[in-house]
Amino acid sequence: MSAKSTTRITSPLSPPDTADGSRSTRLADPRFDEILASANDAIISIDESHAITLFNRGAERIFGYSAADIIGKPLDRLIPERFVARHGGQVRDFSAAPETSRMMAQRGEIYGRRRDGSEFPAEASISKFRGPNGLVFTVILRDITERRAAELILRGAHDELERRVRERTAELEERNAQLQQEIQERRRAEKLLAEQARELARSNADLEQFASVASHDLQEPLRMVASYTQLLGKRYRNRLDEDADEFMGFIVDGALRMQRLINDLLTFSRVGSRGKGFQPVDLATSVAQVRINLRAAIDESGARISTGTLPVVNADATQMEQLLQNLIGNAIKFRKGPAPSVHIDARREDAAWRITVQDDGIGIDARYAERIFVIFQRLHTAAEYPGTGIGLAICKKIVERHGGQIGVHSTPGEGASFSFTLPDREETPHA
Amino acid sequence: MRDRQRPIRILLVEDNPGDVRLTIEAFKDNRVDTPLDVARDGVEALAYLRQEGIHAGKPLPDLILLDLNLPRMDGGEVLAAIKADPALMHIPVVVLTTSRAEQDVQRAYLLQAACFITKPVDFECFIQAVKLIDAFWLSVVTLPCGARS
Repeated sequence: MSAKSTTRITSPLSPPDTADGSRSTRLADPRFDEILASANDAIISIDESHAITLFNRGAERIFGYSAADIIGKPLDRLIPERFVARHGGQVRDFSAAPETSRMMAQRGEIYGRRRDGSEFPAEASISKFRGPNGLVFTVILRDITERRAAELILRGAHDELERRVRERTAELEERNAQLQQEIQERRRAEKLLAEQARELARSNADLEQFASVASHDLQEPLRMVASYTQLLGKRYRNRLDEDADEFMGFIVDGALRMQRLINDLLTFSRVGSRGKGFQPVDLATSVAQVRINLRAAIDESGARISTGTLPVVNADATQMEQLLQNLIGNAIKFRKGPAPSVHIDARREDAAWRITVQDDGIGIDARYAERIFVIFQRLHTAAEYPGTGIGLAICKKIVERHGGQIGVHSTPGEGASFSFTLPDREETPHA
Repeated sequence: MRDRQRPIRILLVEDNPGDVRLTIEAFKDNRVDTPLDVARDGVEALAYLRQEGIHAGKPLPDLILLDLNLPRMDGGEVLAAIKADPALMHIPVVVLTTSRAEQDVQRAYLLQAACFITKPVDFECFIQAVKLIDAFWLSVVTLPCGARS
């Protein structure tokens, strides 16, 4: 549409030398013609009356006017109406200014108006020179609609990114706050635990002190009661009646039983406090020692004691012996008849050994299976089976100190099978 | 076996009158006719052994029966003082006490007690223990002659 013939150009570098510079110009140099024609930007010149004197191909494309249509028309055609007044002022201002060129839109965006009335954002510079017919202003203008759109998209993306960053930051802050709170709670819990541990240690020390006091100071008066009653009975034999002898018997019996209870209680309390370190213990050796310790009971009852293959475990040797002795001793004590048989065996279970002591004695009713491990709980009268009821309580405490569990399976009249676990472990015991 | 000119003397250091009497009765029951002097606490025991004050001129015992739980100065301290005194250290000290505590036993032997006996609650057992003390220390063992006697 913009044939070369219709394009009239005034070269800013080479002012026209015709009298009528506004309408017909002659190129000083054909290269300028090429430059103007090939420029992407709109290049528009106006004279002092703001009439368009030059309109290149870029201007034609951007504004939608052909040069033929617009040359000689006022520049205001190319400016949205609301900017027209301001623009005129600015051009006048520039004409008086000392510089020869400036960027337009220094105070905000500028807009162009196409032939169809639509507007577009633009970026432009203006320059001036004095031609033979007065000042010539030349505007170089670029349609930045696409850049704006790209900027808009970019800004949108940027905003979106910022929004996501903010969101994520907020999430992280929230999570961080949660973590801080959890840390605080954990610290509080740890502090509480430490306090409880101290309290427990103190209470254990108190208990130990109490046990020591019980062993000395409680036994002294008991000894007085028992001894003097016996002395009385001895010195006044045949001088008191039968009732007196019987009563004195009860006094002595009570005092002696009390003393046994105190000693048992001491033994029980010392399982934790006086326990030794763990070392490899051959349970077969422990059983052999128990056979020696229980020789009298074994000989008297004719008990047969057999063992399977017993392992070496990491344990307190003295306590293993005590544990097995209590269990084997019980198996003999609660026999059904003469020549009871007791079998001790071991098997692997997860990360532990399970040791079983099986007898063919009187057995235990299942409903007492828990109770028999409680200190001083007995199922029989002292006349039937003597004892204070401490043995299994000590067994339980020993097993628990080794991190294991003890229990019994039994049918009354068909023997009992006591078994305990000893988890594999290296570390030192807890008190 | 006893071939001494004089009867053997025993000092019982015991604060509980019941125990004092019981020990005397146990010796009586064993028909042991031996002079038994009594100190009621550690301070009195040492005053007696060093023949101070009212104890001036009293002979040194051949054997000391010492309780551990004593007022003022406990048995361990008395034992330490006896074993630190050149004039007394030769006298065997039998610790005779209610305690069975391991630490008491160990401390007594560390302080050179001759032996450690826990008083049995049962009187017959106590008589038996005294009888054994009598048989061992007063008949079997040859005791040194006191530095001052």
